[in-house]
Amino acid sequence: MVAQTENEHALAALIIEALNLEDVTPEDIDPEEPLFGDGLGLDSIDALELALAITQKYAIQLKAEDANTHKAFGTLRTLNAYIEEHTG
Amino acid sequence: MAEARALAEQLPQHSYVINLHADRYRYLRAFCAAVIAGQCTLMPPNRQAHTLTQLAETYPDSYVIGENGEEPAFSSTSNAEVPTVDSEQLCAIAFTSGSTGTPTPNNKYWYTLEEGAKGNARLLLGNNTGHLNMVATVPPQHMWGMETSIMLPLFAPVAISNKTPFFPQDIADAVNELPAPVALVSSPVHLETLLKSGVKLHGLKQILTATAPLSRELAISLESTFAARVQDVFGCSESGILATRNTSTEELWNYADFFDLYLSNDGIRIRADHLPEDVLMPDIIELVGDRQYRWLGRHADMLNIAGKRGSLADVNHRLREVNGVVDGIIFAREEQPDRLAALVVAPGMDVSDILSRLKDRVEPVFLPRPIYKVDMLPRQETGKIAVKAVQDMFNRIHASKAN
Repeated sequence: MVAQTENEHALAALIIEALNLEDVTPEDIDPEEPLFGDGLGLDSIDALELALAITQKYAIQLKAEDANTHKAFGTLRTLNAYIEEHTG
Repeated sequence: MAEARALAEQLPQHSYVINLHADRYRYLRAFCAAVIAGQCTLMPPNRQAHTLTQLAETYPDSYVIGENGEEPAFSSTSNAEVPTVDSEQLCAIAFTSGSTGTPTPNNKYWYTLEEGAKGNARLLLGNNTGHLNMVATVPPQHMWGMETSIMLPLFAPVAISNKTPFFPQDIADAVNELPAPVALVSSPVHLETLLKSGVKLHGLKQILTATAPLSRELAISLESTFAARVQDVFGCSESGILATRNTSTEELWNYADFFDLYLSNDGIRIRADHLPEDVLMPDIIELVGDRQYRWLGRHADMLNIAGKRGSLADVNHRLREVNGVVDGIIFAREEQPDRLAALVVAPGMDVSDILSRLKDRVEPVFLPRPIYKVDMLPRQETGKIAVKAVQDMFNRIHASKAN
């Protein structure tokens, strides 16, 4: 398991809170494991709920049309990097 | 039409086509080309590998177009003449999941699609005969997306955006790039996040929503925020769009004048001239007044999560098919009926094994979460399982985990 940065840890906590994930602590989310499909097994409803939580906390709107967002939603690390880049 | 005609001549010679185009313009063009070439479009209920494999096995004379199955090259001709289609031609097959693991095919003949589309134009667009631009968040492979975003543009003055926006900002961009008036075809899940996100939409005239019940609060908020009329639409794969209501002001559903609902031995049936046979109403309703009904709920076995209709029995069947699973049950959670959970007897497997085996056989939204391993299920002597006993067992384990 790769170590999380401070921001990644905060984002992991947000994911768990927004999606009511049980049996998962922020430390359990490997920053380089896929969030959707094989990793945490999140689905499209989760993606919408998570996007809304991110909008509310970080004041940025996610766009799937933007090819970067597809990559961003890959792992905790890429999602955090996307948020850091767009919040400046 | 010229492109569809040209593409039709290049399509592989098969009877069935699985159209996976995500771009709605390409989907529409390939659908028209298939109709011209006398091929039937199969509408897979999802894009999962397991579903597509099963579909290809059931229909060996089929091929995939779009996504990884590339479209053959064609050069557009000048022949844009609208073809005459034999009304009896089988043009599409939609699938509803049965309780046994085998999806039930619903044949869509050209007369079913054409008459349905003309009726839907009257029902959804009313006397509005002016031009309308449409954005849909539902995929064209879904019956709700097919009837609105593919069939209406063919038979009504409707132009469709090629996009399938997902996040609120995507929806705003897709709507705002079109000239008014715009209609948005969506579902409650998308509409709720759209509202909460605070994005701004311009020129929106109409919101059409289906796939799950829309709450009155949400309907009222949507109407006041976006200054658009919200119409809730009810339908199923077998009948197509059946009824609508203005949820902000109405409780009863109004069914279209081209349908008849009548009581039969096994429940309420739906009849229409454009349907090949009468269809059993999938939900529990009460007929009241003139062409109206009250929606009471879904049958116990019926799942409808995020617009995916499924059968609880089918999902359970797939769980028990997993090698290593001795017994198990998937059920809707009491306090969160839109989410499923599971109790599984599977010595030698851990939860992540079970989940990963389920992932390629079950729709993502139907995947149970959490899955708890147990020594045995609370079966009665007859082998039956009471819902109450399952919920109790789940709640006990759930509470002990939370501590």
